[in-house]
Amino acid sequence: MKKHLSVLFMLMLVGLLTLAACGDDSSDGGSDNDNTDNSSEDNGSDEPVTLTFFSSDGAEKTFDDPVAKKITEATGVYLEMDYPVGGNDEAIPLMIAGGEYPDLIFAKGDLGKLIDAGGVIKLDDMIEERGDNLKALYGDQIDRLRNSVDDPSIYQVGTYGVENQPLETSGTFQIQLEVLRELGYPEIDTLEDFEAALSEYHDMYPEINGQSTIPLSLQGSDWRWLITVGNPAGFAGGFPDDGQWVIDNDTGEATYKFVLDEFRTYFKWLNGMNAKGLLDPESFTQTQETYISKLSTGRVLSVADQDWNIGDARSALIQDGMENRTFAPLPVVLDESKTHQALKDYGFAGGWGIAISSTSEHQEEAFDFLDWMASEEAQILVNWGVEGEHYEVVDGERVMFDEVREKLETDANYSKESGVGYYIYPFPQWGTAAVDSNGQSITRDNKEQVIEGQLAPEKDALAAYGMELWIDWFPAQDELEISNHGAAANFSIPSGSDLQIIQQRADDITEQRITEAILADPAEFDGLWDNMLQELEDAGVEQLNQEMTELTQSVRELWGTN
Amino acid sequence: MSKHTTTVTVGGTASKNARKLTVASNRQSFFKRMMSQKMLIAMSLPFVLWLIIFRYIPVVGWLMAFQDYKPQNGFFGNEWVGLKHFRDLFNEPTFFRALENTIGMGVLGLVFTTLAAITFALLLNEMRFLKFKKLTQTISYLPHFVSWVIVANIVTTMLSIEGPINGLLTSIGILDDPINFMAKPGMFWGIVTSAEVWKSTGWNAIIYFAAMAGIDPQLYEAAKVDGASRLRQMWHITLPSIRSVIIVLLILSIGNLINIGFEKQMLLGNNIVMDKAIVIDLYALNYGIGMFRYSFGTAIGIFKSVVSVILILIANGFAKKIGEGRVF
Repeated sequence: MKKHLSVLFMLMLVGLLTLAACGDDSSDGGSDNDNTDNSSEDNGSDEPVTLTFFSSDGAEKTFDDPVAKKITEATGVYLEMDYPVGGNDEAIPLMIAGGEYPDLIFAKGDLGKLIDAGGVIKLDDMIEERGDNLKALYGDQIDRLRNSVDDPSIYQVGTYGVENQPLETSGTFQIQLEVLRELGYPEIDTLEDFEAALSEYHDMYPEINGQSTIPLSLQGSDWRWLITVGNPAGFAGGFPDDGQWVIDNDTGEATYKFVLDEFRTYFKWLNGMNAKGLLDPESFTQTQETYISKLSTGRVLSVADQDWNIGDARSALIQDGMENRTFAPLPVVLDESKTHQALKDYGFAGGWGIAISSTSEHQEEAFDFLDWMASEEAQILVNWGVEGEHYEVVDGERVMFDEVREKLETDANYSKESGVGYYIYPFPQWGTAAVDSNGQSITRDNKEQVIEGQLAPEKDALAAYGMELWIDWFPAQDELEISNHGAAANFSIPSGSDLQIIQQRADDITEQRITEAILADPAEFDGLWDNMLQELEDAGVEQLNQEMTELTQSVRELWGTN
Repeated sequence: MSKHTTTVTVGGTASKNARKLTVASNRQSFFKRMMSQKMLIAMSLPFVLWLIIFRYIPVVGWLMAFQDYKPQNGFFGNEWVGLKHFRDLFNEPTFFRALENTIGMGVLGLVFTTLAAITFALLLNEMRFLKFKKLTQTISYLPHFVSWVIVANIVTTMLSIEGPINGLLTSIGILDDPINFMAKPGMFWGIVTSAEVWKSTGWNAIIYFAAMAGIDPQLYEAAKVDGASRLRQMWHITLPSIRSVIIVLLILSIGNLINIGFEKQMLLGNNIVMDKAIVIDLYALNYGIGMFRYSFGTAIGIFKSVVSVILILIANGFAKKIGEGRVF
């Protein structure tokens, strides 16, 4: 008996030792690999450095398309791209909890959390010493990259173009070209005009391609509530896009936007649309897939959405030969007294950008990579693709191959497969007004390109209205003030702060109650709206406004725009 | 042996000594028993260790709920704030709504999935055609392996305005106009429960079915001789024989009543029904870890554990009272 027991103990001991040994083995192996990595760089061999890159807006993709190969060739960097699975916004907190960071992080609004946790490094010195391309890119706007008044360091190199001149709008109401044509290209400036056009066409054609016509469809069942329900209300009210806020450009005073009267007016109109059967009854329950497939059938007359959210539907419509069922943007406002702010110049937005992690073993390579991405050579590559493969130079000007342009227009996956245009966002980026050393536009979206890219029915409509571009329909950029605080959506809000918690509460209330109010009987609308205002007040909306005002003013102080 | 003697001599009065002696002899028999079972103890040791390492040591993390925890400060470098996070939690109206929804959907889910599983197992047990029986069983537990993401898509498509259910109801004249089921807050609990029943009935039935297989066939033969119909046999033999299994499973799942997860509610819910769809885990996700408030999230976790323990104790006490297979 005793013998057996000791044998058993021996076995257990051996087992435990083996386990422990295995553990050691693996960690040894890991550091061995790292060592070889380092030494290969030191030797200056051709082996590219692999940098891990997490992008909050990323998708599954390997870094092996033609453009990516060129980038690796020029910088010696191979990117291993990671992305949040299933649109999950816990990725950054989980990363912090685990304490393991990728080399490069595009965290969007969560950058503040990374700074709090010490997960990212300050870039000021590196920019000063070796960031010539970045310095040239940001110029005097570089202050906008700074973190806060209390900690005015630079932790990230910003997303979004510097020096922008909008050529397209996005996020406003959009109407089918066919509706405009059928109704003889009417003037549509106000909600009233818009509704009249929709209902007139709906009466004429209750069915399209054998399925019932849907005059207006929204996608309010998930976070897209914000872009298809919340933001269009702000545009109609003549406010620029500051997320959930309306901010006075002179004083920097911020107001949680849904308490304003303009919003009551807008949603009352939407409630009326619903009562008259002009709003898709599935607007708040359908999934994104259902929504896109509905739009792709061509039976939805109008939407209020961002172009990037409905790109798949546009490609499908063009592919099915229904170019006339694609959408044109509308400068619709509540009434004539409002000015549509779609072309507003927010300045360089700052706020969001790519940071380098504190645990990265390749911080310098990562920085040099980001700096190279801001260079002229890189910007032409990411915008236009590879010379001879995607574009050619004719008489000193870049011309995209027809085939490539057509694919970019119609094939939703082409950009991802070829890399053309795929690496512009969220890297440092020249804006639409920027030119290269030959005086040519760096981005593909110059005026000529936009005009060339217009579809035939689009050209007809523009000609009928006597315009060159759709933006000619909107109040011009120089009529609007330049924003002194960029865009509120890019503010970094301290995690776990009252501001964040109360805003989450307020957003939960508004998303629910406004949805309820839209779908309610019109007689009940005002009562429901008043209840919502009361609920917002109870949730502390006044404190919220006050804290946001303070934050806005500190941003203005940091940027020197106060 | 020397140990026992020392305890005795240290004692003061005679009566005390007597008691010490009994304690000592008890202890002696305890050691004796332990030695006689050393093999068993050695074999259970790894599992006890596992339990301690993975189930008890992490409880130390509960301390976070009483701090303003920030990961960069390390575990003990944070400010202690007492019950602040619990106060915040109990001052939050949304939390109580979430609690109500959690318990509501938890109870509905428990009752209906159990009833459905038992009924299904009973019917399957009565089936005489073996091949068909096996096939039915296999098909019925397949939904268990389908992810909630897919189930939610199936449900929303089936119930959409242009979906097959509305099509059926309007074509046979039960409805005049299609109903947007997913936009009715009053129906949300029902939809979640039905989806859960569909998904889990076949799987849950397996264990009841196994219990039924163990019933002595002589009982049925005796009942048949006495002229009992098949329904009578089910009622008087099958059900009483699996009673203890049912009760043990119920007690175990009552403890988990509050841990119903959030996938179903998050995937099936939308802004219209959110009042009925927000559950504690979803709340903890949005207002806790999603905002980087680890301490607040931990406070929610502690609250949930306390509720679970209370529920288990109640259920166990109830089982004790009716004299059935209790858990402890």
